[in-house]
Amino acid sequence: MLTLGPLLFANPWLLLGLGLLPGLYWLIRITPPSARRIPFPAIRLLMQLPRVKEAPAHTPWWLLLLRVLLAALVIVALARPVLDPAAPLAGAGPLVIALDDGWTAAPSWEATRAEALGLVEQAERDGRSVAIATSAAASGPGAPAPAQLLRGPDARALIQALEPKPWAGERARMAAALAGLAAGGADVHWLSDGLGEGASDKDFAARLVGLGSVTLNVPNTTLVAMALLPPRTEPGAMIVLVARADTSLAEDVEVIASQQGRALASATVHFDAGAARAEARVELPPEIRNGIDRVSLSGQTSAGGVFLMDERWRRRPVGLVSGDAAEAAQPLLSDIYYLNRALAPFSDVRVGKISDLLARPLALMAVADIGQIVGPDREALMRWLDEGGVLVRFAGPRLAAQSDDLVPVPLREGDRALGGALTWEQPQPLADFPEGSPFTGLTVPPEVTVGRQVLAEPTPGLAARTWARLRDGTPLVTAERRGKGWLVLVHTSANAEWSNFALSGLYVDVLRRLVELSAGISAGDGDVPLPPWSLLDGWGRLGNPGPTALPLQPASLGSLQPGPEHPPGFYGDATARRALNIGRADTRLAPLGPIDGVRRQSGSEAKGERDLMPLLLAAALGLVLLDTLLGLFLRGLVGRERDVVVPALVLATALSLGLLLPSTSHAQTRDSLTRDTLTRDTGPTSAEAGSAAVLDAVLGIHLAYVVTGDGLVDETSRAGLNGLGGILRTRTAVDARAPLGVDPERDDLSLYPLIYWPMTASQKPLSAEALARIDGYMKAGGTILFDTRDAESSFDQTGGGGGTGTRILRALLGQLDLPPLVPVPAEHVLTRSFYLLKSFPGRSAGGTVWVEAAAAGANDGVSSIVIGGNDWAAAWAADDGGRPLAPLEGDDPKQREYAYRFGVNLVMYALTGNYKADQVHVPALLERLGQ
Amino acid sequence: MALPTGKAGLTARTPAATGGAGNTALRAEALGARLPPLLVAADRVAATVAQGVHGRRRVGPGEAFWQFRRFGEGDAPQRIDWRQSARAQHLYVRESEWTAAQSVWLWHDQSPSMNWRSDAVETTKLERATVLTLALGSLLVRGGERVAGLGSGQPPAGGRTGYNRLAAGLLDGGSETPPDGLPPRQHLPRHAQIVLVGDFLSPLAELDGLVKAYVAAGVRGHLLQILDPAEIDLPFRGRTRFLGLEGEPAFLTGRAEDLRPAYAERLARRQDALANLARTAGWTFAIHRTDRRPETALMALFGALSGRVV
Repeated sequence: MLTLGPLLFANPWLLLGLGLLPGLYWLIRITPPSARRIPFPAIRLLMQLPRVKEAPAHTPWWLLLLRVLLAALVIVALARPVLDPAAPLAGAGPLVIALDDGWTAAPSWEATRAEALGLVEQAERDGRSVAIATSAAASGPGAPAPAQLLRGPDARALIQALEPKPWAGERARMAAALAGLAAGGADVHWLSDGLGEGASDKDFAARLVGLGSVTLNVPNTTLVAMALLPPRTEPGAMIVLVARADTSLAEDVEVIASQQGRALASATVHFDAGAARAEARVELPPEIRNGIDRVSLSGQTSAGGVFLMDERWRRRPVGLVSGDAAEAAQPLLSDIYYLNRALAPFSDVRVGKISDLLARPLALMAVADIGQIVGPDREALMRWLDEGGVLVRFAGPRLAAQSDDLVPVPLREGDRALGGALTWEQPQPLADFPEGSPFTGLTVPPEVTVGRQVLAEPTPGLAARTWARLRDGTPLVTAERRGKGWLVLVHTSANAEWSNFALSGLYVDVLRRLVELSAGISAGDGDVPLPPWSLLDGWGRLGNPGPTALPLQPASLGSLQPGPEHPPGFYGDATARRALNIGRADTRLAPLGPIDGVRRQSGSEAKGERDLMPLLLAAALGLVLLDTLLGLFLRGLVGRERDVVVPALVLATALSLGLLLPSTSHAQTRDSLTRDTLTRDTGPTSAEAGSAAVLDAVLGIHLAYVVTGDGLVDETSRAGLNGLGGILRTRTAVDARAPLGVDPERDDLSLYPLIYWPMTASQKPLSAEALARIDGYMKAGGTILFDTRDAESSFDQTGGGGGTGTRILRALLGQLDLPPLVPVPAEHVLTRSFYLLKSFPGRSAGGTVWVEAAAAGANDGVSSIVIGGNDWAAAWAADDGGRPLAPLEGDDPKQREYAYRFGVNLVMYALTGNYKADQVHVPALLERLGQ
Repeated sequence: MALPTGKAGLTARTPAATGGAGNTALRAEALGARLPPLLVAADRVAATVAQGVHGRRRVGPGEAFWQFRRFGEGDAPQRIDWRQSARAQHLYVRESEWTAAQSVWLWHDQSPSMNWRSDAVETTKLERATVLTLALGSLLVRGGERVAGLGSGQPPAGGRTGYNRLAAGLLDGGSETPPDGLPPRQHLPRHAQIVLVGDFLSPLAELDGLVKAYVAAGVRGHLLQILDPAEIDLPFRGRTRFLGLEGEPAFLTGRAEDLRPAYAERLARRQDALANLARTAGWTFAIHRTDRRPETALMALFGALSGRVV
């Protein structure tokens, strides 16, 4: 080894080769470049030429220099120069490496291991022994084996065999393992995972300081582990939660949900600066979402970045049955309103009649206040119960009055009211849940009280069947096994009428437990240990269980921390597997705080040593290419043809650059991954501009047209509505302002009473948002005039006929929820809302105009959709002076006037609704007035 | 030998490619079609017995009127010219001039050195020579003359047959050409004409002897030297090893560009010698570069053969 300033040569004796360079110089000088071979017919003439005495071909001096430089580069490269060699090890004692190898170390494992290997190599160079301690237990509980003093190769083998464990490490174990080492003199390197354990970090650091000088390695912030927490399920979506340690900067993390290795969906979790957790919605249809068995962070590979999902995360189909018919009118008084709200987040709720509900697979049925279940419903229910269904009945006035025998315990007639005006008794709070109840473990909030309940007949088995009771001992929830299923009765109402139970969080928890019960997961089969089936390794990959894994008691799943005996993964068998995960709802990750007396370096600083050999060899290769090119040039092969020289030069440069870059890119990729580049800056909001536009649209009546993207059509629409606006201003009280173009994909449609929508061939299918917007617009009373512009629109039930525009429109409307359409009847309001009209001509006159068939009732009887093909905008279109812009097709000289009248009628219809519908009755009224 | 028509590099082209023969013949005909039929200027027509266009100033078979003579005994009555006889009292027989065709023997060099082109041009010397020879043959045939390939062993023939035979011989008969690039010696009738097309890079003495032999036999000849522009300009640079195409030893030079003046001078000397040779023999000599249009060379040959300036 030879050190020259910041350079260290690993094989310095090779530098002696530089002495050969003068000889090389001489050799290159006298060796001419090889000749270019050219067949030449006139060679006889050449041979008759006088032979000139040819001096040895003189290689140009710069080519010589190039080649000597090339040789020098190769020699220096082979001497293995190292730039900025690592700081020498401190002290004189052994090298001590304390290595975090819990799951949190997995993302930074490569860097950590490289660092450890580098340290071992240094120690080997210095001839020092190495002691290695790891934080995660390798197998089972028990004291860790004391760290041995190892020689370099053994230590290297040990480190190379190390892998992050799929459970958390404990630094106390490292401390214990290192306890046997002699104090002082050692160079201690703590290669941490960057996460703190709390107060014990300082103790551990103190122990290390006792051994010698301590260097703490912290991985780069991007390589500090994150954890996936248990996802929540909501209707139509799964909410994934991610926890992180370093909260200083905003960050985006991608989460992937997959089923048996196939990615089904991904979502981006956005951490705001300062937030330790963030969540994202993964929107999926329930059937697909139920298939998800794994959620993982895409950027990090660690056991904590994976969350396995078993049956418990499946959303189960739940049916709700109510005895009350009119729940729609007053939802807050409905029997099943609270049930629906409580169950919907974690199950798929269907509401209906018992027979309808049982026609499809159902896990749980909640029946609110039905006294008698009779007839075929009862038979079907019994069968379903036998097959494993869970029937949850809630009490209510009807059940109290008369109950059938589909209840777990016999009931007394009538109900008990507590805390009423005529009683002294207070509403009863709940007692703690008895042992053996599926609700065990739920905390009972003291404010939950029950005012009325139905009472069970005291029978011998009552206590065993009671899952929850009030503080006075009366049962609140009773249950009975029926076949494979459960029959559960909640002795109070499902709504807030009888108690505030339905208003509490406990209500949700109880229902959740009941839904879980429906999948056969209950305390009943909790005695059978679940064998390890498929377990995660430290990188978050599923594999066969290792030798240390032991079967798992199902009951302990909720509280068990993964460890060597119970690594995270799936337990059970293929049919019923339960997942044990690292991430828990209360998992918190904290960064490793500053520690006194310890030299701290982060991952990027530690990567100081740079081997210059690849760099030099790449440069030499580049020179070889350059030399080849120059040789070709000298021999006249690529003399004047630029098209050969330039690509060759580019190729040579690119090749040598490509070889150079990998050796320097380590540091760069790290730098480019720092978190500040991950933060997103949100652009200035355009809220002010938007609100101004909304105000403008609202403060007057603007007719609107849909911007189709076809410039001519849009201009015609604008001019048409402008012309119609002029007519409206002169003839009616409607003060129409300038027409506005709208785009249903972006704009709020609700600001406009009437939207004119011409069909063009370029009409694209609408997005879901636009459809929802249009649907909302129509339901909220807006009117859309669809103009197919093909003079022949046909929208009867057969769905045939019509021109191009009609077909386009039909495709468009197929996406919308539309009532049946009819041609405008003779007495329709549209024919008399301002003018009395018999036809509705536009540019063409013949087409039929279609409106909703039964517009009565909703929206003041105004059809939310008017369809025709007469190209009205062209007929209305007028320039600023009021002169029409487009010729009309018909012969009738008054056609344009009638087109205007239709426009006026339409606007009046849209604005005033069925106001003029009374005119229909005018004849009858006049007659009645006694004429 | 079939002529390759694909693009070739600096190396000699192998004569293995096929498919271009008919193409070359067609191109030659198209080339010749732009010139009027070629009537060979003949001081004395070769003593062939074939009918042709060159009057022999004797009575004989032919089209042109020569004389009327009295009907004599032994004349067939069918030969009486009744129109002439009606003017006088005697019977006259119409006699026409004996016209004979000139015969031209064509030859072009098919040695490997011809089958070469530099990168700057599209055609090899051989292709160009074939085209020119065939075009000339086409012109001659259309002029009523008779042509034959020199060394083909076939008698000269006129008409379409003669041309086709010539074409077949030129395109297929390459193997009969000695590789030294010299025309074969063949006994030709006196006053015949021969056209020799080649690069004439072989030693001058051999050509000299051959020409002298033909001159002694009373044969007129025309030499057309076809050269690639690279053979004229020597555009090579740098260290170069020149390889012969006909078994010559290689020639290595340090700086090819330095050879250029000496080579140009040497080439000029060779061409002077050729021109001199032709002049002393009473023959014509022309040079054609393959980067020029073939029409120019054809015009020159046309002029030389027809004895007028075109």
